[in-house]
Amino acid sequence: MSKWIPLWLHKLGSPPIFYRFAGTLRPWFLALALIAGAIGLYGGLVLAPADYQQGDAYRIIFIHVPSAWMGLFIYGVMAVASFIALVWRIKLAEAVAMESAPIGAAFTFITLVTGSLWGKPMWGTWWTWDARLTSELVLLFLYLGVIGLYHAFEDRRQGARAAAFLAIIGIINVPIVHFSVNWWNTLHQGSTVRILGPSKISMDMLWPLLTMMVATKLYYVASLFGRVRADLLELEGGKDWVRRIATGEQATGEQA
Amino acid sequence: MPVLYALIVATLFPFALGPEDALLQRIAGGVVLVTVLLAMLLALDAMFRSDIEDGSLEQLVLAPQPLALMLGMKILAHWFTTALPLIVIAPLLAGMLHLPVQVMGVLMLALLLATPMLSLLGAVLVALTAGTRRSGMLLALMLLPLCVPVVIFAAGAVAAAQQGLPWVAPIAWLGAALVLALVLAPLACAAALRIALDA
Amino acid sequence: MSQFLAMGGYAAYVWPAYAVFFLVLLADFISPMLRRRRNLRELRARLARQTARQQRTASPAVNP
Repeated sequence: MSKWIPLWLHKLGSPPIFYRFAGTLRPWFLALALIAGAIGLYGGLVLAPADYQQGDAYRIIFIHVPSAWMGLFIYGVMAVASFIALVWRIKLAEAVAMESAPIGAAFTFITLVTGSLWGKPMWGTWWTWDARLTSELVLLFLYLGVIGLYHAFEDRRQGARAAAFLAIIGIINVPIVHFSVNWWNTLHQGSTVRILGPSKISMDMLWPLLTMMVATKLYYVASLFGRVRADLLELEGGKDWVRRIATGEQATGEQA
Repeated sequence: MPVLYALIVATLFPFALGPEDALLQRIAGGVVLVTVLLAMLLALDAMFRSDIEDGSLEQLVLAPQPLALMLGMKILAHWFTTALPLIVIAPLLAGMLHLPVQVMGVLMLALLLATPMLSLLGAVLVALTAGTRRSGMLLALMLLPLCVPVVIFAAGAVAAAQQGLPWVAPIAWLGAALVLALVLAPLACAAALRIALDA
Repeated sequence: MSQFLAMGGYAAYVWPAYAVFFLVLLADFISPMLRRRRNLRELRARLARQTARQQRTASPAVNP
């Protein structure tokens, strides 16, 4: 047991095996994400009652808050993968870190847009320089910096290592930015969901929110697997296993 | 060159906002800080550029002395040549925007603590982009998230002083951050350079 | 149904938010699939060129 788990992980780190592994699991994760998303949205949009203060506008929460969580969560994953990539120089970790960045940027972008669509009827403005909004914007810039640095290099792996380093600097920066921006200004409503202690949100609204959180996590895995697969094919372009896939897919008539 | 740039930017503000004293006075601290930051960003790109082109950076990497120490000296030299002139003309810029004289000391203190921070943080990022083609915009994009706290605390100290509030806390935060950056940034810069040059 | 779509008067905010959510994620999901297809197609073209060159050099032996 203690021997074959490291062995399995070691094997999984090899691109062709991960390619196949991710290819088999990806549809399942996507299907589960869609099911969880459908349940969560049905619960959030149809079953949950309107908020006594905010009316139906609060229903944006079911995509806004899970996206915000994902924006931070993916940054964490990216930083951990970056650390692994820098220390052990594992190609797969580089791919995971660099392919996480666009997904995280997408979620952060969604958070900002839905947040301003929610802010307009509630605060009467699309944008305010409030602490959490500003931190979120800074997070988006961090993601864009990582993506930009990655693509600035001619050599993909070198770019991945440089961008991984930037991601690690960024994760030290995130709490500092959050703290300093908090010190600077605040207006945002406080957290309403807590893991420990009673949360300030009713059960009817909480379960769709948590279901959506699970759905976005599952979606992230599915999207990441798809991206890493595409990335591995590109990185390993000359290798035999990629050629077999290329010629094999031609035989079956360009599916996928 | 950065000095001239800062002078031009600071001159443009009154044209854009109108010459009323009260308004200029209120924004003076922030304008000077942002102007200095932008002028430093302008000069940042050139920090290692000529050393990369003539190959002396590779010699530095291969030298027996610790790379972090030598990069620290390079950053110090860069700070002396770009930031120090900016700090020297900062009172002039602030005066043009009618910043009250009693706040000037706090502004200078904030600049003295904030500009080395920017040099140190910028050096790490410049080292990361050392292996790429010209990258001015990318550098700005990467520096923005890192310099947000610096700008907040430096401008916060000036604003607090202007309102007659205690301004020691943000200055102390800046100082603490500077000490931290002074230790860590040269090391990070060396690591970044090794990655970017693939050495 | 129309009451559901009206979202208590907030339809103009709620539905665009959901549209953005789905469009961005759709784009995020499709882009690697397109990239993968394009890469494989390029790789196939390269392989085809390679085999053509090998055949040409093998049969008449004009070029080294």
